[in-house]
Amino acid sequence: MSEPLFVIVAILTLGGGLGVVATRNVVHAALFLLLSLVSVAGIYLLVFAEFLALVQVLIYGGAIIIVLIFAIMLTRSQEYPRISDNPQWPLAIVAGLAVFGVLAASFLWNLPPASEPEGPGLAKIGESLFTKWAVPFEVVSLVLLVALVGAIIIAGRAGDRE
Amino acid sequence: MPETNLTSNLHLLLPEFLLATLAFAVFAIDLLLPANRKKLLAWVSVAGLIGLLALALALLWGENEEMYGGLIKVDSYALFFKSFFILLGIFIILSSVDYVGKHLSHPGEYYGLILFSVLAMNVMAASREILTAYVALELMSFSFYIMVSYARYNPRSNEAGIKYVLIGAFSSAILLFGISMLYSTIGVTHFADISATLANAGDASPALWVGLALILVGLGFKVAAVPFHMWAPDVYQGAPLPVTAYLAVGSKAAAFALMLRLFAEAFMPSIDDWQIIVAIIAAITMTVGNLVAIAQHNIKRLLAYSSIGQVGFLLVGIAALSETSPLASNGVMLHIVGYSFTNLAVFVGIIAFFNMTGKEEIADFSGLADRHPFLAAAMAIGMFSLAGLPFFAGFTTKFYLFTAAANEGLLWLAGLAIVNSLISLYYYQVEIRHMYIQPAPDMEGKLEPASAHNPHPPPVGGGAEDASRHSPTPLIIGVLILMVLGTFFVGVYPFPIVEALDAATSAILPGAGS
Repeated sequence: MSEPLFVIVAILTLGGGLGVVATRNVVHAALFLLLSLVSVAGIYLLVFAEFLALVQVLIYGGAIIIVLIFAIMLTRSQEYPRISDNPQWPLAIVAGLAVFGVLAASFLWNLPPASEPEGPGLAKIGESLFTKWAVPFEVVSLVLLVALVGAIIIAGRAGDRE
Repeated sequence: MPETNLTSNLHLLLPEFLLATLAFAVFAIDLLLPANRKKLLAWVSVAGLIGLLALALALLWGENEEMYGGLIKVDSYALFFKSFFILLGIFIILSSVDYVGKHLSHPGEYYGLILFSVLAMNVMAASREILTAYVALELMSFSFYIMVSYARYNPRSNEAGIKYVLIGAFSSAILLFGISMLYSTIGVTHFADISATLANAGDASPALWVGLALILVGLGFKVAAVPFHMWAPDVYQGAPLPVTAYLAVGSKAAAFALMLRLFAEAFMPSIDDWQIIVAIIAAITMTVGNLVAIAQHNIKRLLAYSSIGQVGFLLVGIAALSETSPLASNGVMLHIVGYSFTNLAVFVGIIAFFNMTGKEEIADFSGLADRHPFLAAAMAIGMFSLAGLPFFAGFTTKFYLFTAAANEGLLWLAGLAIVNSLISLYYYQVEIRHMYIQPAPDMEGKLEPASAHNPHPPPVGGGAEDASRHSPTPLIIGVLILMVLGTFFVGVYPFPIVEALDAATSAILPGAGS
């Protein structure tokens, strides 16, 4: 593992996390969270867990952040840039420290053996996706196409009618 | 990995590739056509589908090959449903032409979506791997979500679309959760492997059974089995009429094509564990569907509940599946065919009526027999068949299903199903009474005073006079005639179809030689 790269990515991860709690703007907080989560994907990449990195970006960086931002926009359209001081912050500190404690304890308790990184490499995933699993893969692409067509029809500008 | 084995018989997927190509072609031609020529797209789609049907029958007849390591199988079961779905697509498009021209915008995408959903149904019937089946099910569901909310300026259609999307996503999540539990406990997703694992599942973990139950619940939502049916009436009522017809026939047929293969090929070894559950769901489904249908005033809601009742009958067939007898499997498929002809006869009649009048309450059909005798007769035939009277499709298909149930020792279920058929006869009779005996609202003066309590006062300005000026287009009449003929064909002389069904059943249940 290249140490300088890890330091950079770790700083980004922690910085993103700090940004989430420090900023007063909800949208900024969501974007900081995105930074933090994508940086975690970077850590996965550094240990050659390519599949994990991919899933991390897709699920956390993509789906979860998008849902979060949607929720912010749908619920607090008027006052979303402001976060009033939340009286629950002491509770949040306790919860955060507790999670940290449990994770750290379980890690130190049962130190994982130093091992060569392994797992399904991207090449292997790609190969099976385009050979063995080609049919569902193609069907999924049609699902996306149909969803796009539907979005245009249902949410698009009013057509030639009415 | 031997890639050559994966692509050596790729030509067997030609109909699917061409169907996707056809859908893209429709999307593309749509861009080039001026707004008043969009009807051409329907003809392109129908011509393409007819060609595909001929190609599929010529190319795949007698094939029995696995592809992609067992992901999908091109066998007589798949071919039977492929032909059925393609025919269904043709009829749905034909009965949509007038409606789409009058009430909907974006006709090109409408026909394209129908083509994509037909493609999805074909894959559903052919897949022998649970994730492939799931993905195909999603493609079909997505097409339906869009078609249900196609009438953009109709709040009911929007409401139906939102409800359908939410329930659909919810049920997909349940289904996926079940699949993931299945995979996490036994580590396989191919039907054949699942079957092999279940065959010696004496020590299987409870998580496996939870997974199977969740899969059953997810599929129950998709076919609107009670108690997972609450979305169906609202969605049926809100969707544009041809889409409702397609939803009632196509999505159910496809979901049952998937279920039949899944239960016959994958879950069969543990039938003792799920038979009673499916039987109870079937009993509740047909009873609730038929009882609630009595109270309906809107024809679409009535047919929604009636189709829930039909799902109950089909589930009777699933519960009566047997490794040694083809009867139940044949019964399910025959009921799907008969029910489709029948239901389409009724729906096409309603579409024709709606095209003329814009109305869909049951009371609006009063006196239809005087104004449009053929329309009324076709709908009455359809409803008699739905109720299961002899000489119509419904009788023959139900006879197969109930016999199968009785043979498997589910005598109580068969009895309950017969009682339910009688109940359904009642509410179909109400509609038929409106068409034949109740006088038309605008003809009150000409008829005896017994009609004074008619709840529907004549519309100001004579809406019915407007209706009598228009008559159903020859196209709709043609489709209607075909559906009625089909209803009689299945009811009186089903043997050619049963022969095809025997071949299809022996593909999914090799032990059930007839």
